[in-house]
Amino acid sequence: MGVLGDGWTFLTSSANWSGEAGIAHRLVEHVQMSLFATFIATAIALPIGLYIGHARRGEVLATSIGNIGRALPSFGVLAIVFPFTLRYEFLRFGDLGFSATLIALVLLGIPPVLTNTFVGINGVDHDLVEAARGMGMREREIVVKVEFPLAVPLIVAGIRSAAVAVVATATLAALVAWGGLGRFIVDGFAVRDQPQIVAGALLVALLAIVTEIAFALLERVLTPPGQPG
Amino acid sequence: MRSSRNAVLGACLALLLVFAACGSGEDGDTDTAGPEETTGCPVDGGDLTVGVSAAFTENKLVAEMYALALENCGYTVERQFEIGAREISDPALFDGEIDIKPEYLASELVFNDPDAEPSGDPGENHMALEPLLAEHGVTALDFSPATDENVFVVTGETAKKFKLVSVSDLGAPAKNMTLGGPPECPKRPFCLIGLKDVYGIEFGDFKALDVGGPQTVEALDKGAIDVALLFSTNPVIPDRGWIVLEDDKGLQSAENLTPLVRDDVLNDAITDTLNAVSAVLTTDYLTALIAKVDQDREDLADVARSFLEDAGVL
Repeated sequence: MGVLGDGWTFLTSSANWSGEAGIAHRLVEHVQMSLFATFIATAIALPIGLYIGHARRGEVLATSIGNIGRALPSFGVLAIVFPFTLRYEFLRFGDLGFSATLIALVLLGIPPVLTNTFVGINGVDHDLVEAARGMGMREREIVVKVEFPLAVPLIVAGIRSAAVAVVATATLAALVAWGGLGRFIVDGFAVRDQPQIVAGALLVALLAIVTEIAFALLERVLTPPGQPG
Repeated sequence: MRSSRNAVLGACLALLLVFAACGSGEDGDTDTAGPEETTGCPVDGGDLTVGVSAAFTENKLVAEMYALALENCGYTVERQFEIGAREISDPALFDGEIDIKPEYLASELVFNDPDAEPSGDPGENHMALEPLLAEHGVTALDFSPATDENVFVVTGETAKKFKLVSVSDLGAPAKNMTLGGPPECPKRPFCLIGLKDVYGIEFGDFKALDVGGPQTVEALDKGAIDVALLFSTNPVIPDRGWIVLEDDKGLQSAENLTPLVRDDVLNDAITDTLNAVSAVLTTDYLTALIAKVDQDREDLADVARSFLEDAGVL
């Protein structure tokens, strides 16, 4: 089994699961960070996407932001943001490195949610929107009762992309003194502990897959009946 | 200090006048006017390849000094300064792809013998290293007083507040302090393990940052950590008026810069030339030179040359 086997041994030894630096605690940290970042990214991107999609205004801007955002390397963002989180009091929340990682991950999570929301809303049949207007619905009602439910599958797909990327990238937190599963990779690398690195990488990959599957199920549940997948 | 340096500078200028013709040693044809009469340097020393331990400013600076001094002594020097790590530069030296490189005593010792226990005394490390290098036909010349070691650093404020001069002084306040350092710190004798075993010091918290890099510096500067593990030649230490805590129990191993030379090219001229460079190099000078290159963006070769000229080596 070699390297993978050593990683597996690290994972299955119970001593490595307990304590502040144990797998259980790191896993919780990783999930917390990812949830926070995905939630905030969604909270920012969803309303903007809804507005742009409904008003059919600022599409170019939204697409550009989405594309530029996707090209931003999170590690670069982290390196730039970290000093600022030390310098300014209002950015100094959480343990050292928490806020910097959160900001980098939120920036990572925004583009997929924004793009998918606006494309999803935009893609709703114009006749349906007109019919809703004809029935006397207010604009807000049209968004909430007609466009949003029909766009949900695409929006959830966007959040899914964001969440998976965030889970994989939250590993970087370990580079700026914070915790999460990245600690095993960064610390293992620092002391050339191959099994620890492999174990960390396996855990991150596993968590990303679990996230993917969870959102796939959520998508299925939230898709309105009669809609194609 | 100042006046003696001026005297050296004067002597150097006088020498420079004599050797003016070989100022641009890179052009092969000017080498014929080499300084053979005063230093025992050869008329045409032939080709040498100077490499680095790894490609970072400090090591490149010292390698450039070696190269300049050797060119001044009549050799034609090829520079191999882009070698990424000791994992590459050591085999390159042992196989003869490079002839000379600046190394750090303790790191080179441990690299060649993982079981070696480097000491805080550079002489001991040098002695332990010699037989290991001899197996590969390589000799370590005199080590320089300049050393790039791990040092525990605090801000001026912290030092004043807790009356800190040496690492031992951390004994009482450490339990309420946060140490910032590289991620390997908890598992390494030079860091948390040694602090506990040698000094009996345990910090309240530890933050894994980078290896003596900008994050650790920033974290100390902004008070996110109280004590930082940095490298002794980091220019920000004098820049920000930070205090290096004296390693009074000799926890850190001596990493003095030392020229390693292949035996098949080594001769008295090379020995004298490189030893002369090592003799004038100190940690403070090296720190200041690194600042010129990294912070003031001056040309590395110019910085190395003007230092050697001021010090009277060129």
